[in-house]
Amino acid sequence: MLRGFLGGAAVGIGLPPLEVFFDRHGLAYADGGLPKRFGIWFWGNGNLPQRWNPIGEGAEWTLSEQLQPLASVKSEITVVSGMSVKTGNTIPHGSGPAGILSGAPLIVRSGDDFSFSAPSIDQVIAAQIGGETRFRSLELGVRPDSGLSYNGPNSKNPPESSPWALFNRIFGGGFTAPGEEPVIDPKIRLRRSVLDVVMADAGRLRGKLGRTDQLRLEQHLDGVRELERRLARLEEDPPSLAACAVPGVPAEAYPDNDGRPRFTEINQVMAELMAMAMACDQTRVFSYFFTYPVNNLLFPGVSTGHHRMTHDEPGDQPQVNQIVVQIITAFGQFLEKLRAVPEGAGTLLDNCAILGTTDVSFGRNHSLDDYPIIIAGTAGGALKKGLHYRSPSGENTSMVLVSLLRAMGLVIDGFGEGAGRSEQGLGAIEA
Amino acid sequence: MRSVFACLATWILVACSSTEAPPPLVPLPEVDPGPPTVPRLTGAQYRHTLQDLFGEGLILPDALEPDSPAAGLLAVGASETSISSWGVEQYESAAYAIAQQVLSDPTQKARFFTCTPAGTTDPACARTILETWGRSLFRRPLAEEELSGLVTLTTLGSTTSATFEAGLELGLAALLQSPSFLFRVELGEAGRYGPFALASRLSFFLWNSGPDPELLAAAADGRLSTAEGLEQQARRLLADPRARRGVRAFFEDLFELYHLEALNKDPTVFLHYTTDLGKLAKEQTLQDLERIVFDEDADYRQILITDRTAVDRRLAALYGVRAGSKEGFSVVQLPPEGGRRGLLGQASFLALRAHPSSSSAVLRGAFVRKVLLCQLVPPAPVGLNTALPEPTATARTLRERNVVHLTDPGCAACHSRMDPIGLGLENFDGIGRYRGEDNGAPIDASGDLDGVPFTDAWSLAQAVHDHPDVPRCLVRSLYRYATNAADVPSEAPLIDALTANFQASGHRVQSLMLELVTSGAFQKVTEVSP
Repeated sequence: MLRGFLGGAAVGIGLPPLEVFFDRHGLAYADGGLPKRFGIWFWGNGNLPQRWNPIGEGAEWTLSEQLQPLASVKSEITVVSGMSVKTGNTIPHGSGPAGILSGAPLIVRSGDDFSFSAPSIDQVIAAQIGGETRFRSLELGVRPDSGLSYNGPNSKNPPESSPWALFNRIFGGGFTAPGEEPVIDPKIRLRRSVLDVVMADAGRLRGKLGRTDQLRLEQHLDGVRELERRLARLEEDPPSLAACAVPGVPAEAYPDNDGRPRFTEINQVMAELMAMAMACDQTRVFSYFFTYPVNNLLFPGVSTGHHRMTHDEPGDQPQVNQIVVQIITAFGQFLEKLRAVPEGAGTLLDNCAILGTTDVSFGRNHSLDDYPIIIAGTAGGALKKGLHYRSPSGENTSMVLVSLLRAMGLVIDGFGEGAGRSEQGLGAIEA
Repeated sequence: MRSVFACLATWILVACSSTEAPPPLVPLPEVDPGPPTVPRLTGAQYRHTLQDLFGEGLILPDALEPDSPAAGLLAVGASETSISSWGVEQYESAAYAIAQQVLSDPTQKARFFTCTPAGTTDPACARTILETWGRSLFRRPLAEEELSGLVTLTTLGSTTSATFEAGLELGLAALLQSPSFLFRVELGEAGRYGPFALASRLSFFLWNSGPDPELLAAAADGRLSTAEGLEQQARRLLADPRARRGVRAFFEDLFELYHLEALNKDPTVFLHYTTDLGKLAKEQTLQDLERIVFDEDADYRQILITDRTAVDRRLAALYGVRAGSKEGFSVVQLPPEGGRRGLLGQASFLALRAHPSSSSAVLRGAFVRKVLLCQLVPPAPVGLNTALPEPTATARTLRERNVVHLTDPGCAACHSRMDPIGLGLENFDGIGRYRGEDNGAPIDASGDLDGVPFTDAWSLAQAVHDHPDVPRCLVRSLYRYATNAADVPSEAPLIDALTANFQASGHRVQSLMLELVTSGAFQKVTEVSP
C-alpha cells in the first residue's frame, strides 16, 4: 500500500522542477502552473449544529467537537457556517443536495420520486476542464448507489463503490506510469474502430427519436465519445507529473464486519486512488460519496442505522455525534492523503478545491439552515484557507458555489436557479 | 378433488385452462396511446438476453450501469435514464468479455458460425453471421448500411490479427455496445408499434428478455400484425418457462426485492441474522408467487393469505417450522399460532421494511399503502422533531412509545394511515422472527384497516386481501411495468376496465397479462415528431 506514495515521491526527486510539469503536448499548463482540481466529498444525514459550529471567526477560531478530527489539516480548510439553502425544502434529504450541489430546486414527480433539475457543480466544472484529462470526472463511493452527480434531469453518473474496480478503471490495462516504457496495446486502435461503428448506429437512430429520448441518446453518445478520447489518450504519452505512481492494488472485496461497512479501510484506499488519479492527471474532477442521504448504515460502535438514529435518538444525540465524528475523521484522512502528494512548491491539496458537505444540517428536523460546508484546498491560491466564516444573515449557499466556480477558472454571471440563484460569490473566502 | 371442482365451477364463468382468456366482460376503452418509450435494458434484461442467446454457461459481468426506479418501478426508470460514461466503459469491457467467450469455446463457436469461413477473411460469411446474430441482438433485421459497416470492421480485425475469429470478435463487440442493443428502440408506424417493436415489447414484458427466433419470425412474416397471430404468440410466451422469470422480474421490481441483496442488519441484535438472509427471503417470496401464478394459476391475492410457503432450512429455522427438505426450498405449511401467513409474514417484507436493529411500523404500513393499495403516502414533513421516545416503565412497546403519531393531529393525518397496519405486524421483529413481547411487555397487534378490524397479523392479512383497492393496484402496476411508463393521462379508464376483467377472471395474473398484451393500448403509440 505504501508503494504509491513512496514510489511517487522517489520519482519526483531529482527531476528538474520545471521539466516535470508539462502536459502531454509538451506545453506548460494553462497559466504556467499546476492544474486545478475540484472535488465533492459528500456524506449523508447531516450534522448536529450545536456540536459543529466553530468558536471564533475569521482566522481566529477553534475547532468544535465534531470538527476536531480535522485538527491536522485545520490550516488547509475553511469552514463556512450560518448559510442557508434557498431552493426550498420540499423533500427531506432531497432538497438539500439539490440546493447545495446544483443551486436549483428539485423536480418532484410524486412522493420521494425526484431528480435534480440542473447539473451538479462537479459536472458544471467537468464540462469546462474535464476535456483536459483521460477521465472527464470520476465518481466514487463506499457503497453502491446511483449517487448525486447529475448531468441534468434524470441523468446521473453513478459512483464506483469497489476500490478494486476503480483501481482497474484508472490504473489497469493501458496505463503507463512515469518512467515506464509505454506499451501500446495494438487492440486500442481496433477498439476505437469498433466505437466508430457504435457511433454510426447512434447517428442513424437520432433522427427517429423524440426530443427527450434524443437527449438520452446524446448522453450515451457523450460517454462513447469520452471512451474514444480516453483510448486516444492511452495511445499518447501519459502526463509526466512528478508525484505520479501506480498505487497499491486494493483488495477485491471489503466484506462488512458485524453488519458494519469497513469505512476506515475503504476510505483510505479510495483516498489513495483519488490522490494518484489526480497526481497522474487522469482526472481533475471527482465526487466522492462517503455515504448517501437517508442511509441507514451501521457505523462501528453505534447501535442502530444512521438515518434512524438521527430521528430517534433522544436528548443531545451522543450516538449521532459519534457517527458524525467518524465521518469527519474519514474526511480528514482523505485530505491528509492529498496533502501527502508534493506538487511544485506545495501539495496536491493546495491545487484542489474540495467541497465537503451533506444533505441536511440538523438531521432530526431536516433543516437546511446553518448548512454544513467545509472547503479544503485553495484551487491553486484562488481561495483563502484556515478560516471560519460565519454568515450573519443566513446568506445563500450558492454564493459559495459561485466562489468555487470562479476559483476553478470558470467565467460565470452567477449560479443557481430561482431563489437559489446567486450572482455574487462569498468574498470572505476568496483570495 | 377440490381443485377439480373449483376448476369446474370457474369453467361456468370463464374458461379453465390458464391461458384461456375469457372474452372481456368489459370491453376495453379506446384510449389515446402514450408517446413511445425507449427503455434501456435493465441489468437483468441484459443478462437474460445474452444467456438466452449464448447459453446459461456464459459468464456475465456483475457490474453494469445501475438501474434506478421512477414512479416506484425500475421498468419506468429505464425509460427515463441514460447510460453514464462509466456505464459505457463497463458495457465495453462486457462486450469483449462476452465476444471472447463465444469465439473461444468450440461448442459456442460452432453455433455462432452460421457458415464456414473460407479463410482468414471471408466477408460473405462474416455478413451471414452478423446478419443472424445482429437480428437477435437488435431485435429487428439490420439495414444494409449497418451490415456493411460491421463487415468492414470484421475485415479490418481479421486482417490485423490474421484470424477470422478476431474479426468476428470486433463485430460482435460492436453489436453489444450499440445503442440499438442497449436501448429498446421500439418505434411506431402509423400509430401502431411496428411488428418488431411489438415483438420486443412482448418478450421483455413476458420473459424479461429479448425475442426468440420464432417471435422474430412471426414479426417478419406478418403473423404478429394480426390479432390472432399476436394472441397465439402471447400464449406461446406465457406457456414457456421463461414466463416465470418474467413474472418474478415484475414482482421483484414492484416489491423492490432487489434491495434484499444489500440487507443491512445488526447481527449483535438479531442473532438469527446471516448475510444470506436477504437472498433467501427473496427466493421464498418469488417461489410462492410463481406457484400461485403458474402452478396453481390461482387468485393473485393468495400471496397475501397463503399459509403454504417455500422455505429452506435457514428460513424454516427463522420461522420456527420444520423444513421440508435438507437441501434447497420446499413448500411447508405454516401453523396458525403466531399469525404468520402471506407476504406480510415473510422476511422479504418484514426485514426489508424495518431498521437495521429494530422493526418499523411506519415502513411496513407505508409499503402496504403505497405498493399493495397504490395510495399516496406523502413524505415526512420537514421541520418536525421526529425523535422516538426511549422505552420507559409505562411505555415499553413500539405502540406505546409511538403514541404521539396517532394522538397529535399533525402526525396522525398521515401516520394514522400507516402505523396501525405496521403495529399489527409487531409480533415480527426487524428480521421477521416471531416475538410475543417487546421490551418485556406483551404486544397488542390489533387494529383497523379502513374500517375493517383485525386482531393480529393473521387477520390483518385477511383484511389486506379483502381490501377493494388491491386488484386495481396490481393492474395499474403491471400496466406501468408492461409499458415502461407511468402517469400517462389516458391510463385510468383502461386500468378500470382491465381491473373489472381481472376480477371477473378470479384475479388470475396470467389472464391479465394476456388481456393486456392483446389490448389496443399495448399495440398503439403516438408518433414521434423529432
